[in-house]
Amino acid sequence: MSYVNWISATIGLLTAGLIFYLVRRDHLHTRYALWWIPVAIVMAILGVFPQIADWIGRTLGISYPPVIPLLLGLVAMVVKILVMDIERSRNEVKLTRLVQRVAILEKRLEDKLSHSDKTD
Amino acid sequence: MFQSALILIPAHNEAASVSAVVREVIRRTGCRVVVIDDASTDDTAVIAREAGATVLTLAVQLGAWGALQAGMRFALQQEYRFVITMDADGQHEARELTRLFAPVYNGLCDVSIGACTSRGSKMRKIAWVFLKWISGLSMEDITSGFRAYNTAAIRLLAGRDATLLEYQDIGVLAHLKRNALAIAEIQVEMCSRASGHSRVYSSWLMVAYYMVQASILGFSKRARK
Repeated sequence: MSYVNWISATIGLLTAGLIFYLVRRDHLHTRYALWWIPVAIVMAILGVFPQIADWIGRTLGISYPPVIPLLLGLVAMVVKILVMDIERSRNEVKLTRLVQRVAILEKRLEDKLSHSDKTD
Repeated sequence: MFQSALILIPAHNEAASVSAVVREVIRRTGCRVVVIDDASTDDTAVIAREAGATVLTLAVQLGAWGALQAGMRFALQQEYRFVITMDADGQHEARELTRLFAPVYNGLCDVSIGACTSRGSKMRKIAWVFLKWISGLSMEDITSGFRAYNTAAIRLLAGRDATLLEYQDIGVLAHLKRNALAIAEIQVEMCSRASGHSRVYSSWLMVAYYMVQASILGFSKRARK
């Protein structure tokens, strides 16, 4: 293996290791692990065997194979960020409605408490 | 007539003007006033309560529409049949309330808008023309917060789908129209802002941000022909 392969192997395996560690320690919720574990595996494999990108390039007729992992990574990130924004919008709805409900509940509580004060 | 209505005033740091607005409304109509304190950092809530309003305090700032929706949900829970919305800055005239509310109260329409098209700079008018075009709305005054809503409208606007409408103008109007609710406009007099200045038009950046957002909302919520 040339030294380039050592670098890519290290990066791939370290990232994969980090992701697995985060999942195991529950810092990364299982739902997101469904995305990140495949990412970790792909990074590990491509890191140790960067020849795979070359092979894909030859098969698909892409003249500059190193661009393939880059492209794949970018597309994956765009999709991921889109999905994140969708989920954030859903969270915003939940949060907004929760804040509204709390305000109304506090009012009801306030009224009940002051009402029971008056009837004493 | 105002027995079955609730007046909603969203307020974020409007301590200077909210008292006068609340007192004037109560004096003229005897209507119950709810001030939704949108996480104000000043004495808005205390002052509004002293002026005779019921105050709902939001723990987190939700913006004008989030605050109004809280008021709408409160109105439904308290079983009010109508809701009238006003601004806390004194722009809306309490004496126009009867004229604003009458068409909705009498069942002539689901929503009435107190329109004052003479206000606003040239820039704002051009913005309105563009926004009307992109959203397919035909109202004269799309940004007026001076409105009356009936039960059908309140139910729709208190719902989940109406939560992220952001500004009460385009998004809300397009949503109403899409659900086939009847909207009428009443020409009213408005005061120039008593205190502070427009939050939306406060800087070019804000205007640009608002325009882009409003355009997207308006376009995406266009009623199908």
